[in-house]
Amino acid sequence: MSTKVNPNLMRELEEFGLKDANKCFHCGNCTAICPLSTEENPFPRKLVKYAQLGLEEKILQSAEPWLCYYCGDCSDRCPRGADPGETMMVMRRFLTSKYDWTGFARRFYTSETFEIIAVAIVGILVGLALWIFHADNPNMEHAALNSVWPAPAIEIGDLIMAAILTFFLLSNTWRCVKFVMGDLLKKVPLEIYATEAKELIIHFITQKRFGECTDRMQWIVHLLIMTGYSTAFLLVAVFLAGGIELVGLAWEPIRFQRDVIYPFFHPMRIFGYYATFAILYGTTYALIGRIKKSKAPYKSTHGTDWMFLILLQLTTLTGIFIHFCRLLDWAMATYVIYVIHLMFAIPMLVLEVPFSKWAHLAYRPVVIYLTRVKEKYYEMQKGTA
Amino acid sequence: MEKKIAVYICTGCGIGDALDMEKLTEVVNEEGSAAICKTHGNLCGQEGLELIKKDMADEGVNTIVVAACSPRVLYDVFDFENCIVDRVNLREQVVWSHKPGDEDTQMMAEDYVRMGLAKANAMELPEPFKPEQEFSRDILVVGGGLTGMTAALEAAKAGASVVLVEKEPELGGFQKKVKQIATFPYKDLQDNPLDELIKAVTENEKIKVYTGAQVEKTVGGPGVFQVTIRQNGSSAEHAIGAIVMAAGWVPYDPEKLDDRLGFGASPNVITNTMFEDNYTGAKVTRPSDGKEVNNVAFLQCAGQRDPEHLPYCSTVCCVTALKQALQIKGQNPDANVFVVYKEMRTLGQAEDLYRKAQETGIIFIRSQDPEVKAEGDKLAVETLDEVLGESVLLEDLDMVVLATGMVPATAFGPDVAQEEKEAEGEEKKEEEELEVPLDVIRRSNILNLDYRQGPEPPALKYDFPDSHFICFPYETRRTGIYAAGCVRRPMGIASVKEDAAGAVMKAIQCIELTSRGAAVHPRAGDLTYPEFEMKRCTQCKRCTVECPFGAINEDEEANPLPQPTRCRRCGVCMGACPERIISFKNYSVPIIGDMIKSIEVPEEDEEKPRILVLACENDAYPALDMAGINRMTYNAWIRVIPLRCLGSMNLVWIADTLSRGIDGVLLLGCQHGDDYQCHFIKGSELADIRLSKVSETLDRLALESERVRFETVSIIDYPKLPALLDEFAATIDEIGPNPFKGW
Ligand code: SF4
Ligand code: SF4
Ligand code: SF4
Ligand code: SF4
Repeated sequence: MSTKVNPNLMRELEEFGLKDANKCFHCGNCTAICPLSTEENPFPRKLVKYAQLGLEEKILQSAEPWLCYYCGDCSDRCPRGADPGETMMVMRRFLTSKYDWTGFARRFYTSETFEIIAVAIVGILVGLALWIFHADNPNMEHAALNSVWPAPAIEIGDLIMAAILTFFLLSNTWRCVKFVMGDLLKKVPLEIYATEAKELIIHFITQKRFGECTDRMQWIVHLLIMTGYSTAFLLVAVFLAGGIELVGLAWEPIRFQRDVIYPFFHPMRIFGYYATFAILYGTTYALIGRIKKSKAPYKSTHGTDWMFLILLQLTTLTGIFIHFCRLLDWAMATYVIYVIHLMFAIPMLVLEVPFSKWAHLAYRPVVIYLTRVKEKYYEMQKGTA
Repeated sequence: MEKKIAVYICTGCGIGDALDMEKLTEVVNEEGSAAICKTHGNLCGQEGLELIKKDMADEGVNTIVVAACSPRVLYDVFDFENCIVDRVNLREQVVWSHKPGDEDTQMMAEDYVRMGLAKANAMELPEPFKPEQEFSRDILVVGGGLTGMTAALEAAKAGASVVLVEKEPELGGFQKKVKQIATFPYKDLQDNPLDELIKAVTENEKIKVYTGAQVEKTVGGPGVFQVTIRQNGSSAEHAIGAIVMAAGWVPYDPEKLDDRLGFGASPNVITNTMFEDNYTGAKVTRPSDGKEVNNVAFLQCAGQRDPEHLPYCSTVCCVTALKQALQIKGQNPDANVFVVYKEMRTLGQAEDLYRKAQETGIIFIRSQDPEVKAEGDKLAVETLDEVLGESVLLEDLDMVVLATGMVPATAFGPDVAQEEKEAEGEEKKEEEELEVPLDVIRRSNILNLDYRQGPEPPALKYDFPDSHFICFPYETRRTGIYAAGCVRRPMGIASVKEDAAGAVMKAIQCIELTSRGAAVHPRAGDLTYPEFEMKRCTQCKRCTVECPFGAINEDEEANPLPQPTRCRRCGVCMGACPERIISFKNYSVPIIGDMIKSIEVPEEDEEKPRILVLACENDAYPALDMAGINRMTYNAWIRVIPLRCLGSMNLVWIADTLSRGIDGVLLLGCQHGDDYQCHFIKGSELADIRLSKVSETLDRLALESERVRFETVSIIDYPKLPALLDEFAATIDEIGPNPFKGW
């Protein structure tokens, strides 16, 4: 069966930031130079062609966009200035919006105004909620957050947020799985899924594919942001819950965000410092790179890229301020900054994680995992045939 | 002219160190025909030349043998007015390529000096040919399209009077209907400035334009063409010096295309030239209903680069498709335009137009065999995208444009050789002679030459009237007739202009040289020409058939009527003539025969075989020089005689050589066949064919056929030459001495 060509897809992709893909004259240099492209999954030329010909179905089934880590080698070598690396990035945005059933992701990617307004609304709502639901007699002598917002309340809020976030993220990831696997989803025996699960975890933690790229700095920056973020995420989403007295799950030594001030070498503090340093370093490097357009992956920056970096950095900075204010025991300052901190952090978590750039945190390892699963499956097929 | 011969031997460049000069001088003196023999340390220097000039003035020397470097160098230095000069190549082919001080090297040098003397004795001073008719310097341009008009203007600018003949009622040719052009610098489409050109041509006083006219007949040769032009039932005569043939092209007939391209299946499947016809500058519309087009596919190489149709690339259709696609995008930026190509051939800066097209969103699909699907008014193209390895479908097309190619105007009309074959019928077949394959000459009604071999210039490949694409641009195989523009090879506007100017320059050169009685390229400046001793002619027609340039006509009794201004002085006729009645003043069957006879053949017991090498002057001889320049050494039994072209080799030389006891003959000529390198097109091929008849001679003399061999050599083969010569010498040595020695 021939696939129908749809020239209009290019116009649609332009809304996701596609600019130069039409310049590609199919020489294949990019695929040849890409350190991650393989014989079974060659890219990025294939995806550039899909874009040109508007083969939407093919794009939806493609795993390749998630196999690319945007080192930019291909864009540097393209003789036509077609910026294939950026096309891969656009594909990821496009796919994120396709995986998302709510339509939010699409609005995010195609309208900067929408994105800003959405973030602002959630931020303001968070601020209002904190304003309204604070305790009646906060401790103004000493900086004690729990005296303003009691731990159980925060925990409940946290749980609600985590539930929303998880629901959207998982439902979107499931759609991603269905697109990528297609008919194979049910054909592949469970044991393959199970044995390959290890890969999923390894990839998530080490980003080791990215390490194969020639520009190691990109990998390091990516790893810093990723691990920093994950650490913070764990602290907030899990260890904060570690103090969930409500359901009797409290485990005193590792509570996060309590009015106790841990000793310097307490793991909670060390983790916190690492997360802060990693995120701050990574985002600052990326922000400066994007402002200066220092290398191919930083040449074209989409609204969502800015939003991602800015929210992350503001969250981190405000987090640092809270920390110092608490150490200095400045009560009012601590409370105010805490509100601001959450006004950045929460929109980032509920909006960016399931609907925008952050979603790749889930999609990429999952798709790499599925690619492995598929490969194993085909190997098995060949073996039995 | 009473000859007074002087021999000058140079001892410079290592010659004096490697050879025994006294013995060499002795050879000259013994031989006896030279009045003077002198050596000099630096013959080409001021002093050396003075020495020669002084002898000419004081002693009345009028024939000179310069035994020094190769005749291919310093020819302008050893050039003395009214004096016969022969050059003996002691440097490149003796001392630089053989052991110094060796007996064989010395013998070689002595033989060469004898051969030089033999030649000097036999040759005469050339007298340039002066035609009886009045000489014309006017240029005829056939074809009033872009090429023809550009050529006419260029010629007029250079001061020539021009006659321009266009068969259509108006000037302009194909370009007349073209609204926009894509040419240098290919940044954007440009309005076609053709009307200005037409105006410039019509207003130019030096250009006489005939429209709606045809060349009815062309008689004569360069400088003395008589051209009859027919217009509106009346005829005009013009004396013409040289001709630029700019007859142009016609589009390949789309009816002949494969069905899968869909031509005829829907009115909306058109060709690129039909697109031009329809394009007015206003909106491009669908042929079936005049609706503005929205989805258009261009299919490239329609019947091109395809052995079933046009095997070649027309070079312009890729750029034309870009242009037309951009025109559609220009009227409607949202239109969906696809270009399905085998390879986009956007040469040079045309790549910029390709870029531009990509940036406007035109979609390019690489594919070898698209298929057009027409059902009712539905039009689609299905094709295998080679890059993806997947079949893709372009639906809802309003129009499909096929890139058909250029066929030269010379490709039409019956082939003269075929006609002849049919006329001769069965009887001729029986003879089974090894014949030279005849040229393709079509009655395409462009020049209507009154030439014995046919009315138009012969085709080289694919019916283009070319002679040798790389070596001789613009040149047809008819002297003084230069092809330019798309009749020569497919090309775009930028090349056409260059071509027109180039061809005109060749035409002017031809007129100039011919007016002095000199040959044109490749023997430019040669003042000799073939002279026929008609008393002994047997009307065998060999010369009139074999002349690669159609220079010899025939009268009713089959007597050859040479037309020297059409001649390129290759000597093929001389080689062909069984009666040996054709000769040049400095090149003839007897002259070469004398040179062969002057070679000393040592007795059998001396174990010094001799090998004659007849080497083409254009490639093989320079290759031998190159071997010498690179100090490569090879067998010293060989004696080289340069030939104007191997095609001028007369079989009698082989018989002479072998009956004198020389042990072997090696012919070194250019490659022939499809990728021929021969400067005279068919010379080396003819030599090879003639050689196939030499076996009779060998049988008669009871000699082994291995003694005579033909090898093709191009100038770049020089590193292989020594091995080739040594191997042949070894073979000859193995066969053993020629039994005719000492007879
Ligand atoms: S290197 Fe550039 S032009 Fe070549 S295939 Fe890749 S994107 Fe296209
Ligand atoms: S950006 Fe790097 S990883 Fe991505 S396709 Fe290009 S070369 Fe490959
Ligand atoms: S110019 Fe292009 S379309 Fe025309 S024959 Fe050549 S490759 Fe084919
Ligand atoms: S064969 Fe050569 S030399 Fe003889 S007439 Fe023809 S062009 Fe002249």
